Amino acid sequence: MKTDMIRRFISENCSADDYLFRISETDSHETRFAQNGITQHLAGPKVSIDLTVTFGKKSGTASVNQADEASLKQLIATAEDIARLAPEDPEYMPSTPGAELPEVHNCADSTMNLKPEEMVAIVQKSIDKAKALGATVSGMCEKHISSSFEIAKNGFWGEDKRSTFGHSMTLKLGEVETKVSYEAKDFAPFKLDHEFDRLASQAEALADMHSFDPQKIAVILRPAALQELLWYMFWMMNRRQSDEGFTPFTDQLGKSFFGEKFSLFSTLKNPQIISPSFTSEGLPTAEYSWVENGVLKNMPTDRYWASKQSADPISPYNMYIPGGDATEEEMMKMVPRGLIINRFWYIRPVDMKRGELTGMTRDGVLYFEDGKIKHAVNNLRFNEIPHEMTRRILALGAEELASPYGIVPTTLIDDFNFVDKTSF
Amino acid sequence: MKYLDLAMNAAESLGAEYADIRIQKTTDQVIYLRNLSLKSAKTIVVDGYGIRVFKDGAWGFAHSNIYSDEALLATVQKAFDIAKLSATVNKDKKLRLAPERSYIASYKTPIQIDPFEIPLSEKVDMMMEVNRTMLAFEGIRQAMFYLIQHKDEKLFASTLGTRLDINYQFIDPMITATAVADGDSQSRTFDEGGRAVGWEWIQSLDLIEKAKQIAEEALIKVKADTLGPEKRRSLILDPNHLGLTMHESVGHPTELDRVLGWEADFAGLSFATPEKLKNYRYGSEIVNFVGDNTLAEGLATLGFDDDGVPGQKWHIIKDGILNEYGSTRDTAMEIGLNYSRGCNRATYYYDQPINRIPNLYLLPGTKPLTPAELIADTEDGVYIQGRGSFSIDQHRVNFQFGGDFFWEIKNGKLFRPLKKVLYKSCNPEFWNSCDAICDERFWRPFGVVNCGKGQPSQTARMTHGSAPARFRNIRVGGSQ
Repeated sequence: MKTDMIRRFISENCSADDYLFRISETDSHETRFAQNGITQHLAGPKVSIDLTVTFGKKSGTASVNQADEASLKQLIATAEDIARLAPEDPEYMPSTPGAELPEVHNCADSTMNLKPEEMVAIVQKSIDKAKALGATVSGMCEKHISSSFEIAKNGFWGEDKRSTFGHSMTLKLGEVETKVSYEAKDFAPFKLDHEFDRLASQAEALADMHSFDPQKIAVILRPAALQELLWYMFWMMNRRQSDEGFTPFTDQLGKSFFGEKFSLFSTLKNPQIISPSFTSEGLPTAEYSWVENGVLKNMPTDRYWASKQSADPISPYNMYIPGGDATEEEMMKMVPRGLIINRFWYIRPVDMKRGELTGMTRDGVLYFEDGKIKHAVNNLRFNEIPHEMTRRILALGAEELASPYGIVPTTLIDDFNFVDKTSF
Repeated sequence: MKYLDLAMNAAESLGAEYADIRIQKTTDQVIYLRNLSLKSAKTIVVDGYGIRVFKDGAWGFAHSNIYSDEALLATVQKAFDIAKLSATVNKDKKLRLAPERSYIASYKTPIQIDPFEIPLSEKVDMMMEVNRTMLAFEGIRQAMFYLIQHKDEKLFASTLGTRLDINYQFIDPMITATAVADGDSQSRTFDEGGRAVGWEWIQSLDLIEKAKQIAEEALIKVKADTLGPEKRRSLILDPNHLGLTMHESVGHPTELDRVLGWEADFAGLSFATPEKLKNYRYGSEIVNFVGDNTLAEGLATLGFDDDGVPGQKWHIIKDGILNEYGSTRDTAMEIGLNYSRGCNRATYYYDQPINRIPNLYLLPGTKPLTPAELIADTEDGVYIQGRGSFSIDQHRVNFQFGGDFFWEIKNGKLFRPLKKVLYKSCNPEFWNSCDAICDERFWRPFGVVNCGKGQPSQTARMTHGSAPARFRNIRVGGSQ
């Protein structure tokens, strides 16, 4: 894309007192397969040019996806028209000045160089392996290469490039359904044989299904399950929402509010996860400690609220939860009985003030007793409060890549609150 | 437009068995006001074209935002190449397309006043007044107004000879008041979920009165009692609540792509499998669900879907029995149907269309029945208005729903307001427990503008509707 031309054009033609614009482009190739055949297959670039302008304290934003001069003129005119008609915003913050950004590497050559033919070969091999088991497989093989620029009148200039590769597979073998998913910035470590062996092994473990009633019981949450739950908690940790009384974190900053085995960070230091060098507010990213050994150290805070509270404006950009050294086998011996959860599904808030969530298990639940897996059980519904749940952490396993934005450990938690069950 | 013919001629000369092009310009204006601060006033234009090619039993889809002969022909070639690549995998599993005729037609959402013609200052002034009205109530800590105005200008052509010109619009206002008291925080929302209408709808709503009502109800709610332990009770659900319940427990399970397992890896499967057609008791005898992409003001009423199939009206549940699915040209043939119900829709030009829920509604009761009579006839129950927390399993069997405002019913009367009410049920128990539906005078639509589905994820829109209805013997209680 003609980034320099767009930057020059907006700088030269925008008459507003202040502006911030973002140019982003993502080139994607996505092969979707289901029941051993390809059902969707798509490719192409998506472009977005977003411009926010301000006159005094009156702001307006416009967005287009084409970069010719006529479209850019229209972009500027629309944003300026909106700003002129808008009321003054008492919470307006001027754009940010230039800043030194941390050095990050979010683009992997192996992902950039991956060809559509290779992706289809991965899909073909996944299907062949499923057929050999007498099963069907459904999933998605996808590659995305993104670049974005954020530029402000007051001097901020940031550039971000990233790659992601994903290959997910849901196997249906008889009545058993289970899933594995590889999603990372780097295609190179992906090994289909390893992923499929993991999938087949999960399916085998789930073959003997018993009915199980909802109850409070110890659970071993595998990384994908724990991460899904904690992103919702992260979202509720917003500083302003808490200060204004809407969430359970009101008046808890600096206090021991979580379990002491629990810590939560955003980090630039782990090369496995994506770490942007700047935030959407035009600020450099840094190492952020949100929870340390149970103490709530920081909360996501936007620039306006930070200025009101004399706090630093910070926002989460990835999730890093340090693990421990317990294996699943050791965890199973720490409690008399429990469940191993692969994933959750359809998590939704039930009560914002208490931080309560609901959701279902998905893709396989295993029952263990006396340190050994006994059989699979039906899926269950939970109503649970994640920050309270961290106080019931009994053990942490080794941390693992759960998504391009998260590294979390397998975790043993006591008395997880299941409230209903389903028929499969 | 010359690009339509250029693309279709190029696809045919490459050897496509079928191809279509959708040139689509989407314009959204989103205004978001929170506590008198204009957090967003934004106009977004997404303009480009998507080309689908069907070859040897497989799809290829490519898209571009560049309007030139060269870019268009390269995009056709890319779609064709991708289709051929897909076909190498689909040798034993070729897709087939249900027969369809060609159409030359246009469709325009009937509106009286174009929301995009209303000056922004007029809209923001009105929104500020609504915000001020809510904040004037002591105890209201947060007032929000979220307004979406949307239009799609689409040109569609296919190698069948179809040429369509579609202009679609909808508008969606949502107002929320949040009260904080006694260590709790509770919200009440006015949200009818959007309609395919113009600004005249906003003018008719009297949003200042609505703002007063929801502010008062948020204050009642934050001080309301909780229900206590879960037990089996009657539920009376108003249309504004029931819209989401039917969306999740009837709409999604009867999408044919889900039934076929095409969503197995993401959105999930369906318990309503094809052997159940025409014999499975999904609901009680009074339960009739209609798919209707001709519904006036319906969010899925566009004249034609993105397969070039016209909008239709059909029974999905008839007298309580699973009757038919919502289908597309490529899913229909998988169960031996030789026609599509026209449910293939894409969100933006760069999305490949997928099987979506149509406008889907519960027919009203055939005997005269008012909500007041329904409440008077209920001994022990809860009346739920509006939507709240919702979650359902990936086969669409087990679900748990909250709501936005609750009244306990005792001995035929609204006894006390409640908060934090949840009910748990499953298919087919829930719809079989429906024993009364108010008559057509009380039927109301409810729009869904953010139905997420698919990989890559897309957001579709559709309208549901019902009259207030009663469900017996449902597990209802307070949250944890």
